[in-house]
Formats: sequence, C-alpha cells, structure tokens
Amino acid sequence: MAVTEPVAPAVVKPTTTNDPQSIADQIKAKYPDAVESLSAQGIVIRRDRLPDVARFLRDSPALSFDYLNNLTSVDYPDRFEVVYHLSSISRGGAPIALKVNVNRENPTVSSLVPVYRGADFQEREVYDMMGIRFAGHPNLRRILMWEGFEGYPLRKNYHEPYYEEEHKPFGTRWDQGHHVIAEDRNPWHDNVQYPPDLDATTYKPPRDEIRTAGIENVSVTKLRTDKIVLNIGPQHPSTHGVLRLKTTIDGETIVAVEPVLGYLHRNHEKIGERNTFLQNMPYTDRLDYFTSMANNHAYAIAVEKLMGVKVPERAEYIRVIMVELTRVIAHMSLLGFLYNDLGAFYTPLLYGLEERELVLDLFESVAGSRMMCNYMRFGGVARDLPEGWLDRCQYLVDERLPRVLDEMGNYLIGNEVFRARTKNVGILPRDLAINYSTAGPVLRGSGVKYDVRRAEPYSIYDRFDFDIPVGTNGDVYDRFMMRFWETQQSLRILKQALKQIPAGEIMTGKKNYQVRVPKGEAYGRGENPKGELGFYLVSDGSPNPYRYHVRAPSFINLGTLNEMAVGHKIADLIVILGSYDVVMGEVDR
Amino acid sequence: MSLLVFYLFAAIAVLAALGMVVLRNPVHSALSLALVFVSLAAMYVLLSAPFIAVAQVMIYAGAILILFVFVIMLLSPGTDQGVGALKAQRGLAILFGAALLVLLIAVLGGAVLPPTRGTFTPEAIAAEGDTQAVGALLFTNFLLPFEITSILLLVAIVGVIVLAKKRQSISKQ
Amino acid sequence: MDPLALVIIEALIKSIVVIIVLLTGFAYLTLMERMVVARIQVRVGPNRVGRVFGIAALQPIADAIKMIFKEDFIPANADKLIYVLAPGIAVGTALLAWAVIPLNPPLTIFGYTINFEIANVNVAVLYLLAIGSLSIYGIVLGGWSANNKYSLLGALRSTAQMVSYEVSLGLSLVGVLMVSGTLSLTQIVQQQSMIWNVVWQPLGFVIYLVCALAEINRVPFDLPEAETELVAGYQTEYSSLKFALFYMAEYINMLTISAIASTVFLGGYQGPFGILPGVHWLLIKMLIFIFIFMWIRGTLPRFRYDQLMRFGWQVLLPLALANTFVTAVVLVLLGK
Repeated sequence: MAVTEPVAPAVVKPTTTNDPQSIADQIKAKYPDAVESLSAQGIVIRRDRLPDVARFLRDSPALSFDYLNNLTSVDYPDRFEVVYHLSSISRGGAPIALKVNVNRENPTVSSLVPVYRGADFQEREVYDMMGIRFAGHPNLRRILMWEGFEGYPLRKNYHEPYYEEEHKPFGTRWDQGHHVIAEDRNPWHDNVQYPPDLDATTYKPPRDEIRTAGIENVSVTKLRTDKIVLNIGPQHPSTHGVLRLKTTIDGETIVAVEPVLGYLHRNHEKIGERNTFLQNMPYTDRLDYFTSMANNHAYAIAVEKLMGVKVPERAEYIRVIMVELTRVIAHMSLLGFLYNDLGAFYTPLLYGLEERELVLDLFESVAGSRMMCNYMRFGGVARDLPEGWLDRCQYLVDERLPRVLDEMGNYLIGNEVFRARTKNVGILPRDLAINYSTAGPVLRGSGVKYDVRRAEPYSIYDRFDFDIPVGTNGDVYDRFMMRFWETQQSLRILKQALKQIPAGEIMTGKKNYQVRVPKGEAYGRGENPKGELGFYLVSDGSPNPYRYHVRAPSFINLGTLNEMAVGHKIADLIVILGSYDVVMGEVDR
Repeated sequence: MSLLVFYLFAAIAVLAALGMVVLRNPVHSALSLALVFVSLAAMYVLLSAPFIAVAQVMIYAGAILILFVFVIMLLSPGTDQGVGALKAQRGLAILFGAALLVLLIAVLGGAVLPPTRGTFTPEAIAAEGDTQAVGALLFTNFLLPFEITSILLLVAIVGVIVLAKKRQSISKQ
Repeated sequence: MDPLALVIIEALIKSIVVIIVLLTGFAYLTLMERMVVARIQVRVGPNRVGRVFGIAALQPIADAIKMIFKEDFIPANADKLIYVLAPGIAVGTALLAWAVIPLNPPLTIFGYTINFEIANVNVAVLYLLAIGSLSIYGIVLGGWSANNKYSLLGALRSTAQMVSYEVSLGLSLVGVLMVSGTLSLTQIVQQQSMIWNVVWQPLGFVIYLVCALAEINRVPFDLPEAETELVAGYQTEYSSLKFALFYMAEYINMLTISAIASTVFLGGYQGPFGILPGVHWLLIKMLIFIFIFMWIRGTLPRFRYDQLMRFGWQVLLPLALANTFVTAVVLVLLGK
C-alpha cells in the first residue's frame, strides 16, 4: 500500500514578532488599569485583571493568543511571580510572557483553566511545588507530590532531606582531613518531613475521591448499571512506566479517567537549581530518556539565549543531525510501541528497536554514551565527529532507514485490525487540542499546523526544505501516521544537512567547566519528538540558575486523556495512552 | 461391573445434589449442579444413549449453567443472602417436600404403576443408532412440540429485552 | 474376565500414554513457540540450556523447575477451594478431548485388535464440542475466585467470547457431518482416505480455524488474558504450578484444535491419496497448524472486545449458517 504524505504546503514564515510594547498598548486600550509595568522580559499584569486580559488576548482577532505554552512561577525574596507564556498558533513567533506578582503571605491568583484548559495540570504543579493557590481551579490538588505532603519543595526556603548547601559545587567533605558523610549529618528520622500534628498510628491517607464530574451525563447503555473503579497502574504492563490511571468503568466502557502522577518524581527543577548551568546538561538527558539529544538541544538554546552566544556553523549542523536522528528513532520505535499496546506480540517493536540500535551506535561514537548522551554545550557541541562517522550516517539515512520505514509502513499501516482499532478512537478536535496546550504529534494529529521548527525557527531549521504533516481527524490513527510522516520529513532534513555540513569550529570560545550566564530570564524551546520542550530559566548572574523550569510536553499532553478516552473501551484507553508516546521520566520530572 | 459404575455415579449425583441445596456460596451450588449434570450424563452412557449424554453436558453444563455462573459472578451476592427472606416459606416447604417424598416412595417403592419396557431397547438402539433414533423422533412424532419450544424460547428472549428496556424508561423519570 | 473391565484397563493404559505424550509435547511446544517467535522477531531465542544443534533441548525442563520453585500464592480474599480447583478443571477438560481422537489406523497384534483412540464413541464430534463448552469453567472460575478486578474482567470476557464462538464452531463442523453422515471421528477419518473433507468444506474449514483460535484464546482473540490491557486477565493472581497448569491447558488446547482440524478436515492419520496412513501424518499436519498459530501470534495485533463480538455474531455466524444451508441443498440435489 502506498502511503502518501499530505500535499506539501507553502512554507509559513512567521509574519509578525510578538512585540511586548504593542501588545501592552492594546491591553491598555481595553483595560487601562491592567498593565503594571513592562519590560523586555514580559508584561506584568495586575493580579485581579489576569482572567480578563487572558480572555482578551485569546479572543481578540488581531492578537489571537490562543495557545498557552507554559505556566510556571518564580520565588523571589519579596514576592512570587506567576509567569504565563502565550503564543498564537496561526501567527507563530516567540511567545510573550505575562507575569503576575503575588504576595508571599497569601498567594492566590485566579485560575486560567476557564480560558486555557491546558493550564489545569500546570497550575496544579505550581500549587504543588510553590503553594500558590489558583482561585476557581476545578480540581486544585497536589499532582506530583502525594496528598498530605508537608511543604512546597520549590520555595527557596524549603530544604530537602540531606540538604547540604544552597548551590553546587558543594564545599569539601574532607574538611580538615575528616570525611563527613551527608547521612551522618542527617539522622534517618529527618529523611522525610511530616506534618507537625501527624500521628503515624492513626493516620489515614485522604481518600481518593472517584472523579464523578460528568458521569451523570454519560449514558453508556440504556440499563442502569453499577460502575466500578479500576486502577490501571502504577504497576501495569502498558502504562509506559509508573503511571497510575484511576479509571471508572461501566462494564468495559470508560466513564472517567484521571491520571495520577508523581511516582517517578525527583524534583528535577529543585536539583536543577542546585546545579550549575553546565551540570544541568547531563541532567536533561534524564527527562525524556528516549530523546536525550533533543533535550540537550532545547536546554542549550535556552541558555544560549541568556548568554547571547553564537553557535558555529558546523556545530549547528551536527546538532540538527543529532536531533533529527533522535526523532527518527523515537518515532520509529513508537510505531512498534503502539502496536504493542494494540496487542501485537513485540514483533513490530523489535524491528523499530533494531534501527534504534544502529543510530545509538552513532551516538555512542560521538558522545561516548548511547542513551544519556550529554553531548551539547553552550555555544557548540562537546566533541567533533570521529573519522568516517558521516559515511556511516549517510548509509543509514540514504539506504537503511528509508527502506525499513517503507517496510514498516507497508506492513503496519494497511493492517485491518490496526485500522479497526485506531480509526475514530480517541478523537481530539482541533480547538480542544490548542486549548489544552497539547504539543507535537498530538497537536498536529488534530490538524493544527504548528511546529516550533517553523513557528519560531531556531538553530538552522530555516535553511531546510521540509513539510509539516498534519492529521485530519485527530484520532489515534492520525497520531500514528504523524510519526510515520514526520520520520519521512526528518530523513529529508537529514539528507540536506549531511550534504551541506561544513568543516570548521564546533565550539565558540574554549571549553569550560563553568560558564558565565548574565542576569536575565529566557524561555527557550525546541521541537522534541514528543512536542514542544521548553526551558524557562531565570539567572541572577551566579553560576547556578535561580529558576529552572521544564515545560514537559508529555506532562501537558496527558491532560487531554479524560477528554479522549471517555466513552471508549479499556482496550482503547491503552491505545490512546500509547498514542501520546508518554515517557514518565519527563512527566513526573 | 456396569452396576458398580452406576452406583459410583449415582452416589456422586446424590451427594452433589445435596451439596447444591446445602452449600451457602451460590457459586459452589452452581458447581455442584454441574457435577450432577455430568454424573447424569454418565448414566445415560450406561443406558446406551451417548447422544443424550453428550447433549446433557453440552447444553446444561456447558451453556445454561455457565450463564448462571456468569450472572452470579456479576451480582456477587454474599454467602448468606436470601436465607432470611425465605424464612416464612420454610414450614410450607417442609410440608410439600414431605408430601413429595411420600409420593416418590409410593410410586417407586410400592410399584403403583407396573414398570413398562419402552420400544427403544439397547438392541433396537444398537441396530438404528441412538443419534438417528433421536433425530427421527424429533423430526416426525415430536416436530410440533419441538417447533413450539423454539418459538417459546424466542418469546422469552424478546420478553427479556422488553423488560430490560422498560426498566430504563422508569429510571429516566 | 469381565469384558467391561478389559475395556477399562485398555483405556487406562492408552490414557496414561496419551497424557504422558501430551505433557511432554506441551513442554516442547513452549520451546517451539519461543524459537519461532524469536525468529520472527529477528532474535535468536533460547539456545543455552542443554544445547543440541543450537537448540536449547533442556529449556522446557529448566522452565518447569523454575516454575515449580516459585512462591505458590493464594490471595487473601480468594475463594480458596475454587481458586485451587480452577487450574485443575482447565487442564482436565483440555486432556479429556483426547479421548476420542483417532491417532493411527487399527493394529492387530496376536489376534487382538488395538484401536488407536482411547474410546471409539459414535458421537465423538459432539463429545468434543461438549468438552469444549466445559473448558470455559476453568477460566471463568479462576478469574472469579481470585477476587481481582482484572481477573474478573478477563473471566467475563472469556465467557462471552467462548459462548459466542462456540455456536459458529459447532455450525462449521455440521457441514462435514452432513457430508460424511456420521458423528464418529473414526469413521470420518476412514472416509477421507482418498479425498480430504477440506475439498468439500473449504469455508467450514476456515470458519473452524477462526472460531477455534477464539475458543482457545490465542492471538488475535486473546482478550481474556490481554496482557497490555488486563495484565494477565484471569491468570493475574496465579503463580507457580497453578499458573503453569493454566499455561499447560492453553497449549494442550492448541494441540487439541490442531488435531481436530487435521482429523475432521485434513484426513487425520491418512496420508494424501492414501499414502502410508499413520500417526506421523497426523503429527505433521498438527505441526503445520501449530506453526500457523505461532506465526499469527508473532504478527497480528488484538481485536477489541466489541469488535470481536460483532465479528462472531455478524460475520462468522451468518457464514457458518450459509455454509450449512448450501451443503444441505447440494446434498439434497445430489440425492444423497
């Protein structure tokens, strides 16, 4: 069966830059008292005006900021700052930052869930991590930590167990010739912090409430039946890690599903704030451990924005080649993983993984490591390509990968059972996909032509000729096909990049174990295989980031699970979950 | 020898039947009933009627009872449920049970009716084949009852659907 | 000696032989499946334990020993009696089917004729269907008694699935029965010495294979134990030998349906065009079927529950009925 990609559209270049000044003027014209101050870093909005301004920005046809990229908060000594990054799907361009100042004593902001439903999980995360309450949020509970956890870990005054110092590098442990182990300084009972009034003998965890909102409206059969709650996970063969889905079912039909997250939580962001900027580079590998090169790239972009470093030509090409190879193997593996969720006994998966091994060989020979590559540096890459690397890559890109991809397409896409199981399953309509802040293949599968590589071309992506494929129905089949088509496009980019790659420097300046990052803040993002991976960094001029926030695409995509799965069968839920391509390392961070 | 086999399966059947009545757990009861069916099938085999035996297992144990189990599993009633509700009937049940017992003893033990020998002796069945005998009877002498039964079953299925739908219209109001 | 006692003794000996062969056959079937699936998946497969010609000849024994030494676990709220009984029922019903399958043409030694089936029942085909309908009990009871939601869902699925596909399974055999005019497997095999029944009943053959796959819960109809959805379905709480028994029942069922398919449609122990009848033909045919089942397992994804039911009732059942009807009409027209 021939698989044709969608008709190649004209390359969409972003037309306007989202200039904060003009946007602030337009907000002022509508709500004269709304803007508190304005800088290149963002527009500070008055706290009580936030929902009005957000709704205005979303609905005004001239602005149409219909996409909430990122929502996070920063803990300053005198205040909390909640930061919203908004952009326009149709216009593209860099997102603008809206900020709201919140006092430390009683931190409350109006929830933006009524405006952007994608704010749901992110606001819960901010509440969980920094203790800022969002008035009007439908379900404001902890999301990564457990209910009953004491304290807000991302506040600067929160100290974790075995706390040593505020920043790395830590002082010597060989003080005056005596080795001091951190554990010795912290007796075990200080390992976990409990609420002061907790009595372990009588403590009962807060009862998980079954999410019943909307259940009454769903009529599955015409008979009155009892519903049961099925916990899928955290230990389950197909939750792709330790994810728990609290599923209410009626027979085999799903009435409500709620992801319960945090089983793999290690407070990546807090550790990131302890680390120096460079120490975070290997740490980003662990976010989405399937795509470490792409994570490196997005983080490097964010830091380079702060530093204002220019990356040498050759390094840019190497980066693009690495990221696109990552995309190829991530997507090809997903073709197999999704088949696994459909009940095929590992065969398609193993064919995908075989190609992944070959690409990992390439990664190993440049980075020294197969999965946790830690390859990119601020202003370049860590090492130059070894002798003969390009030829090996050329063989894969020109011959092997296209052949295997075609083979997989022939066997997998035409399969009758596959089509029956995926078409019209887990439909996410276009407007919901945008409103829920989904990203990557999930967003494009719903027919939204939005790819960071085109919307805000970074690195050297503006030099390559490639298309952004989009789906039509937004069902699992479309999301599967997105992976297939995007792999084809990545191979196209790779062919061009391998042809054009110049000789030259791979790093601006000399190699350094410590970089100097000037004061400021930046939101840097890249198009990961899973979607838009963003890093929001605040630097106070010290060697460590003052705030290090990760906009994890899998985490935000998961917010649409209930929307997609209700009314389908249990078997469909597994397939829908598989079509996100979630990686729990990134979801729980 | 065949008498020995008969007594073996008769004992199993009686014990299993008792178990079905006595056991508190409905699933255990249903399983005892299945055992009764299987032992009865063994007796049909001894009576040179393997077709009936197999049909007994297939229809009663394999189809009807499995639906019982299905329903019991879905409802999963407690083990003691239903005992209290039947208390009022207990006296009557003992009365009628005793009457039935007396009647059975009178009929079987006293031989009120002389035992008759049917037309299908083992020799006749062996000559014709038991499957053929059942088939021939079913499609000649008993054609009308056979068809009426199938209509009855159809009516029952339709009736179930109608009843189930009615419940839904009530719950809507 | 009482003739009935003689029959019983003979049957006992045959049963023991068949059971021993089946149980070792099951063990090597798991090895075969692992090897076949490994080759399909560009892997090597087991090749370490007792290596003979690159094949791990002792792997099944190693697996068995490992399985035996696993903790035998009974969940706290399980119905203990039924929980223990269910794997036994599963294996028992799986073995029972072999009572009527003719393995070899009759042999006469010292004037004593040995029939190579344990019992020559004149309703053998019906007997197989009856035993098939009983095999649901093992799965249903196992799933129910473990008191686990996944198990219960698996049990519910299997009940609905097996009850639905049994109908088409039975109907797919009716065509053959009409052609051959007997319910005895021995006679059915003997009639196929020249031309196999599959020639007269190709549609019935295909329907039988599909329904049989559904009856024994193999891919793509493995919903009762769908790993990616229900963890392990009705087997979720089982461990150690009890789990092994379910596994055993599954593989013996696979042997059984390939034996029935070979016997009813492909002439059983009869060679093509009457060449050298014997048990080796039956084994070859069974192996071909088993390989096809493994091949399907290595390649196909699973149906969804509602699609499976729709396929059974709306596609297979009408086809099976049409097959029966056409066969009947043709037979009447031919004046048989």
